[in-house]
Amino acid sequence: MRIFQSWRYPANWKIFRLDDRLLLILVAIIVGNCSGLASVILNRALMAMFNWFHHLRHYWWVFVLPATGAALSSLFLEKIVKEGAGHGVPEVIYSVSRYGGLLRFRSSFSRLISSALTIGSGGSAGPEAPVVISGAAIGSNIAKYFSLNDRQRVTLVGCGAAGAISSIFNAPIAGMVFAIEVIIGEWKSVHIVPIAIASVAGTEISRILQGNQIPFSHRLFNIHQMDILACVGLAILTAAASILLTRLLRSMDKIAKKVPAPLWIRAAIGGCAVGLIGLFLPEVLGKGYHVVQTTIEGAFSQGLIIVGLATIAKIVATALTLGWGGSGGIFAPCLVIGCLAGLTYHHALVLLWPSVTWVNQGCFALLGMAGLISGMLQAPLTGIFLIVEITGGYEVILPLIIVSAITTSVCHYMEPAAYYMKDLVDYGHLLRPGTDERVLSDLNVSELIEKDCIAVTQNMLLRDFIKIVKKSHRNYFPVEDEETGHFMGIIHLDDIRQYLFNPVMYDTVFLGQIMNTRVEVVNPDDDLADVIRKMDANYLFSMPVVVNNRFIGLISKGSLLDQYRKELMVQTCQSI
Amino acid sequence: MNHQLLHIFRNSPLGRETLLQSIYFSKQVEVSPVIYIPKSTKFLMYFENDVVQIDLDNSYLMYPDTALEHATELLEQAGIEPRFLDPKHYTASTLPDIHTNFSYMSCPRSISDLSSKIGLGYIGGRVRRIVKSAKFPVLITSPVYKEWESIAVFFGGSVNAFNALKLGFRLCRISGMPLDVFTLIQNNSQESYEKLIADKGLETEMSRYVNNWHFLKNRTLEENLYDVPHNALVVLGAYGHHPLKTFVFGSKMEKIQSTISNNLLIVGPNYTAAI
Repeated sequence: MRIFQSWRYPANWKIFRLDDRLLLILVAIIVGNCSGLASVILNRALMAMFNWFHHLRHYWWVFVLPATGAALSSLFLEKIVKEGAGHGVPEVIYSVSRYGGLLRFRSSFSRLISSALTIGSGGSAGPEAPVVISGAAIGSNIAKYFSLNDRQRVTLVGCGAAGAISSIFNAPIAGMVFAIEVIIGEWKSVHIVPIAIASVAGTEISRILQGNQIPFSHRLFNIHQMDILACVGLAILTAAASILLTRLLRSMDKIAKKVPAPLWIRAAIGGCAVGLIGLFLPEVLGKGYHVVQTTIEGAFSQGLIIVGLATIAKIVATALTLGWGGSGGIFAPCLVIGCLAGLTYHHALVLLWPSVTWVNQGCFALLGMAGLISGMLQAPLTGIFLIVEITGGYEVILPLIIVSAITTSVCHYMEPAAYYMKDLVDYGHLLRPGTDERVLSDLNVSELIEKDCIAVTQNMLLRDFIKIVKKSHRNYFPVEDEETGHFMGIIHLDDIRQYLFNPVMYDTVFLGQIMNTRVEVVNPDDDLADVIRKMDANYLFSMPVVVNNRFIGLISKGSLLDQYRKELMVQTCQSI
Repeated sequence: MNHQLLHIFRNSPLGRETLLQSIYFSKQVEVSPVIYIPKSTKFLMYFENDVVQIDLDNSYLMYPDTALEHATELLEQAGIEPRFLDPKHYTASTLPDIHTNFSYMSCPRSISDLSSKIGLGYIGGRVRRIVKSAKFPVLITSPVYKEWESIAVFFGGSVNAFNALKLGFRLCRISGMPLDVFTLIQNNSQESYEKLIADKGLETEMSRYVNNWHFLKNRTLEENLYDVPHNALVVLGAYGHHPLKTFVFGSKMEKIQSTISNNLLIVGPNYTAAI
């Protein structure tokens, strides 16, 4: 029995109680392995589905395939696991921001299945975001099993995301950078070490099960100054493509929501439209990595117009798939769109300046990919490291940095929030550690209430009140109804100073005559940020907290500052 | 009166019975009922170390036009100012977060499955998760509104049983209702339970609040449950036992809830009671 119980409460194992950092590192290895395995499973599932459906591609009715996949995916999410559509990355960031990384167990597998159905049937989406939420949910639930605290759980959520990205791309640095830059948003050694270890674990699992292959191998590029100069133009093009994709995704979502039909029918409509586009431009279907590989090898032989059209078609297909209710991520579409944008740009350069010796089209494809990833995620480091790792092309690092930096800056100027963060920013849910919003969100009115106020009644004489003032160290006195106990108003000593120093008034003035009845009150459920806004707007130092017409206590800026400091220290300390 | 009870309103005759139970409980123990009228069939409750997704059945969304009116009417009839919970945060656009800073929560036996399962012998999986994760006791109401006039605490000596006992003292103090304690004598003697109380320093409270301490001596728990008054609020701890034992023999909570139809107030492992 004891052995059984000890397995049920692993947090009590002596080995894990030695040191919190050691505990986190050991658990990070488990999380990295599990999330890496989840990525491998999804990858294998997609390969299997590709093989099953490949021979159907020459039939005219094949356009219904993405529709069926998207509908099934939507039905699975809505009816079986009862989760929302979409890729789930904002959900992970939201949970990290507000709830210490708590994620539902079902999220560790739901998006794997739904995205396999969407992408495997030909939907234009990627498997990376679904594995991120799966990995993050695995990390969160393992943290729950080990009874870890919020900070440790957040780190393990990052470990899960890092392990998943590392595994699916065979890119440990990109996985690590993505988890810290996008998911956690905080560069601290307490996070970095476990996340780095989880990345290694995830990558190793992938290498053991799938082999150590670079996804997009290529030949060496000979880059000249003219090519580096041309990168500026490419960055602007990829920024434009990123903004177009972001806006189209959001507008498709809005349009789809106006269609009076169940979600699965909307997903089917989107899938059907993608299937129709795929009849003419099959490059838009599925992950589309074969297009990337062909382009990088310099073997994509289509001309400027076709490549340009394919770029726009892929943007539209991605917006149709994801905006209308399909399940999947934007990583893979970004790589394909970026690759096609780079190719389009190369063709245009050759057309405009045929005498200049430009670098191979594959190089521009790589740079385009980095541009799109950086633009959509507004995470330049993720874009740079991902492309370097998945192509093994360290020699393109200088133009990569230029394209990523410029694209991120232009996109940030045009769309201040990244695609993953847009909804969170709109609803005020993006709360990065150490920021004012985050500190305030972790405090609530109830924990700031000061209850040592002395209540007085409206029929009390000023003389009696002065006796109470002598005993109290407060400046505020709530006035309550004698019979019902209801809150009537408040007396602030500053407001009644003229009466306090005039003894004639002592036996003639009742508190009901001098109390302030037009006082702003606070409810314990109110958002602290709103309360502070109200205080600032009305130049108030304290406000009464009232529930059901009864005075509960006072909330003051003094106590708020004390708690604010304590919370800030907790959030910004280096310990776990 | 800053203590709150969360009630999820179902706009149906069954939901009315449940709300009436919540209102009665709130008035007796001086808490404010906070009513949530769901607008979607699912919501999330984030606890300290767990997140529970509550999947409601469609009966919770019935007749939304009259839901507010019906709930308000019942509350006003009871002389309680209606307070409704409006979710401020959403994990996804159709997935609101319901905060968990409540003193109590009221649930029917099942809040996420078919209404046909509201009978005895079944407590839904979600309700169990809430009990296990919550820092507040969960009021599991009887299917039909019934005013309780006494409090019955089941005390078996576990940590959770002590929490249930302390909660019983508290409810007795606030409501003024008589409190009875029930203990099933199994392997231990009556004296050993009395010693447990003495060791915890609760003798004074026992003599002050407890009307009768019943030591149940029949062989099975079910046989003894007839002695529990039909109009008592039953307070008991849950999950204070070995998991393997539960799996093989079943827990006391399961046996009690499947045998008696009283209102149950269940104390989970994360609840810390103050008298």
